[in-house]
Amino acid sequence: MFLLIVFVWIKKLRHLVVNTGLEAGPKHPQGGSLMKNILKSSVAILMGLSFAGQTMAQTMITEIGEGEGQVNIVAWPGYLERGETAEAFDWITSFEESTSCMVNVKTANTSDEMVALMNEGGFDLVTASGDASLRMVAGKRVQPINIDLIPSWSTVDDRLKNAPWHYVEDMHYGVPYMWGPNVLMYSTEVFPEAPTSWEVVFKAMDLPDGEPNQGRVQAYDGPIHIADAANYLMFHNPELGIISPYELNEDQYAAALDLLREQRKIVSRYWHDAFIQIDDFKNEGMAASGTWPFQVGLLQGDNTPVASTIPQEGATGWADSTMMHAEADNPNCSYMWMEHTLSSNLQSDLSVWFGANPAVLAACTDGRGMQTAEGCTANGLDDFDRIKFWTTPVSSCESQETCVPYYRWVSDYIAVIGGR
Amino acid sequence: MKMQSAMLTSISDTLWRKPNLLILLLILPPALWLGIIYLGSLFALLAQSFFSIDEFSGVIQYELTLKTYGELFRPSNFDIIIRTVVMATAVTIGAAIIGFPVAYFAARYAQGKWKPIFYLGVMMPLWSSYLVKVYSWKLILAKEGILNWIFESLHLSWLLNAYLAIPVIGGYSLSVSATGTFLVFLYVWLPFMILPMQASLERVPHTMLEASGDLGARPYQTFRHVLLPLALPGVIAGSIFTFSLTLGDYIIPQIVGSSRRFIGQAVYAYQGTAGNIPLAAAFAVVPIILMAFYLWLAKRKGAFDAL
Amino acid sequence: MTSAIRLSGVSRHYGAVKAVDNIDLDIAEGEFFAMLGPSGSGKTTTLRLIAGFERPTVGEIHIYGEVAQGIPPYKRPVNTVFQDYALFPHLNVRDNVAYGLMVAGVPKFARHRSANDALEMVALGAYGSRKPSELSGGQRQRVALARALVNNPKALLLDEPLGALDLKLREQMQEELKALQRSLGITFVFVTHDQGEALSMADRVAVFNEGRIVQIGTPEDIYYRPISPFVADFVGSSNVLPPKLVASLLGREVYGSLRPEAVYLSDQGHAALITSVSFLGAATRVSMAVSDVAMTMLLPKGATIPKVDDIVQVNWEASDLHLMFAP
Repeated sequence: MFLLIVFVWIKKLRHLVVNTGLEAGPKHPQGGSLMKNILKSSVAILMGLSFAGQTMAQTMITEIGEGEGQVNIVAWPGYLERGETAEAFDWITSFEESTSCMVNVKTANTSDEMVALMNEGGFDLVTASGDASLRMVAGKRVQPINIDLIPSWSTVDDRLKNAPWHYVEDMHYGVPYMWGPNVLMYSTEVFPEAPTSWEVVFKAMDLPDGEPNQGRVQAYDGPIHIADAANYLMFHNPELGIISPYELNEDQYAAALDLLREQRKIVSRYWHDAFIQIDDFKNEGMAASGTWPFQVGLLQGDNTPVASTIPQEGATGWADSTMMHAEADNPNCSYMWMEHTLSSNLQSDLSVWFGANPAVLAACTDGRGMQTAEGCTANGLDDFDRIKFWTTPVSSCESQETCVPYYRWVSDYIAVIGGR
Repeated sequence: MKMQSAMLTSISDTLWRKPNLLILLLILPPALWLGIIYLGSLFALLAQSFFSIDEFSGVIQYELTLKTYGELFRPSNFDIIIRTVVMATAVTIGAAIIGFPVAYFAARYAQGKWKPIFYLGVMMPLWSSYLVKVYSWKLILAKEGILNWIFESLHLSWLLNAYLAIPVIGGYSLSVSATGTFLVFLYVWLPFMILPMQASLERVPHTMLEASGDLGARPYQTFRHVLLPLALPGVIAGSIFTFSLTLGDYIIPQIVGSSRRFIGQAVYAYQGTAGNIPLAAAFAVVPIILMAFYLWLAKRKGAFDAL
Repeated sequence: MTSAIRLSGVSRHYGAVKAVDNIDLDIAEGEFFAMLGPSGSGKTTTLRLIAGFERPTVGEIHIYGEVAQGIPPYKRPVNTVFQDYALFPHLNVRDNVAYGLMVAGVPKFARHRSANDALEMVALGAYGSRKPSELSGGQRQRVALARALVNNPKALLLDEPLGALDLKLREQMQEELKALQRSLGITFVFVTHDQGEALSMADRVAVFNEGRIVQIGTPEDIYYRPISPFVADFVGSSNVLPPKLVASLLGREVYGSLRPEAVYLSDQGHAALITSVSFLGAATRVSMAVSDVAMTMLLPKGATIPKVDDIVQVNWEASDLHLMFAP
């Protein structure tokens, strides 16, 4: 028995060590190490905020020269693989061989860490999520991209070409990289049919197997989960007038918190680490939870009876872009890499590896990698319009006069989990 | 060459004639380390906690204020402090109760080859990764885990369920209950309690205990009036470890427990994407104050008299 | 004579080591009893058996008529003064002395009064508030004594209590202890390796060797009539005459013992080669070889003192040559 545990955990830790930081899942916005970057982050935030609102004036390069021999990339753990974790997943080696640009990867566990690293300098590229991207644009940490220098730009999913998280004031600040929904995962033993509403994780009720859902559902352990509650209310309580789950006025915000307080009563654990959640679905008898496709894939690969769905309310999600440092030392290799992200096996294989959706639709079908049309559908490719991609809530929001800013989301979500 | 050796000789002569100079030279590096690296960062932390965050823009205002400390007393934040202190106290008391017999046995009866075996046994958990230990415990405590299985095999599930039905300390399963967090804390920090206790118990002469018994003290009286006071410095040292380690930990409650925050997690959350460094710093100051208070109390109670 | 402490056939073995080997002992009430022997002879183990810190491997122990095996130390009517005093460092002198009363549940006021009285008795009345670490060795020794006596034990066990004191203090304490025992009238069992101490203080002495009692008797018995060469050698520096020599004098082939002070210079007797001379003040000790046997004699003040390498005649009274029939 004991040996078995040890074995299982060695397997898991391998994942942990290889894929992630101390506690981060393969990719999530809040992970990271404590105190490590207090000063860095504070500098980052200050820079980001103090430069906000200034007009941009950046010069783009107009032609790609000789490769500089290397390119330095800040990336989410698991985003840049060279076959070391699993042999089949390698999208760096071919690039290095064909361009002679050596790829140096620095992984970052949080958006803050990414911003901080970019502020420090010395990096050329970053795989930024929606919250970090606009901060860096505002802080002039990244430069506009000349899409004419990226031949494969035309293959990018039209829905992403001018996405607001990288397209600012008619300029492209990033090349779409990967996106994914936060799906509803459920146990197929409890649910013979996919649940149609997020209700099963928000309200106390009996599940189809006749047992109450209390204790058997989970929720994401990050303030951004307030947006999931807002998304639910957007559908069920239209009188609140929520337009974006990331832009909430005081009343809408209070309603979302009330819903979350109700949820607290039925949630046994708020999940933070992808591998802990995987374990919970194996060993804790979990019935349903919001999650990333990544966990669904790993659990199914382990023959755990789970499936996922995007219920009627739609879902929140994340979308990342490759962005280039304003003072990149290796612009030529950087452009070559951006082209590589779109044209190589990267889009296809990474979407399999990560359970995410490629930014290039053809990657699902043209056999450049392992991904298939069915795989993309399973990852939520067709649900793009139902996904509310996450951005940092700020007080000066577009849809209404003032919104509740993110730092209050943090303290209030802590209070909700604490039972307040 | 000659000049060099002459110079060395004159240096050592000077140092010999002025021993204070030698002491000063020796003490300089640790003093610099303590003064600049250690205290410096501590003061940087303290300074941050006296700033505040602007309610509307979320920008840190670099003006000295106690507003951020006031925030600590907001019910949701104060909950976190109370929860952490209660947990740290429970873990410390639990570790002392469990650790004492172990330490006593080791100090009194483990002789010869048993001594290294004891040290091995106590230290072994420290060799394996902290994360492996915590994750293993998650498996042990899980709804479908070993402990539950044992209770089921003994037809005692009703007992476990009755326990889990108790509010605050119970929950859906042990691994998502405060009890689970407590057990894992206890396991992980126990060696830090046992080793100093063992060291201090070893220093209590055996004749002290015999003298006490000889004077008519029953074993529990001997424990209460002689052994405990004499072992107290070790217990205090151990409790400083377990108490402060529990106060600061942010990994265990994240993996095992009810997701309710502890101070470490709050620091982590506030300094992260929230960007509320002042509040994070104020939270980080709480354990420092608590430990200072604890040491002061221990000193007042005479915990260090037998040193 | 009522028996205070009786050991019958008591042994204490640690594996193959026989620390105490089949001892019979009967200590009378009110007696000052000394257990004398070299280190490792089993005297301290015997004391610990009486106190209850050790259990006998076999044999019976009676304390004031009651079977003591199975009775824990805290229920025995005896108290111990430890070799290292074992004062509690975290308590002040008064609380140390009052410890036995405290664990017995005596109220604070009453036990402090008794403790102060006991401290007065050992002339430390003013030291009650001090910590043991602030006292000198002799003062600690008295505190340990007061701490044991305040409980009114039926017997007091003392484990080399004077061993850590310097010579002058030791002599002073010897007298005080003796006086104390006389005034209290309780049984004292005293362990020592110092034969002078044992002989000067005790009513009776048991001489231990290799876990056994070699001889029990009054100091005079032990001193003048040692039962074996070991006792003669260990108790005072007796001359042990080998059987051959004794045979040549008396015709009986046994060991004989002869006190140094019984030997005197004489016109006729035995030829002796002087090997060393030491001036001791009241007397002079002279070492010599008599028929190849090393002997010493004590010459009183005023006697003629021979020189080293002199050959002199020495003699003794036949009645002073004590024959030892034990091996």
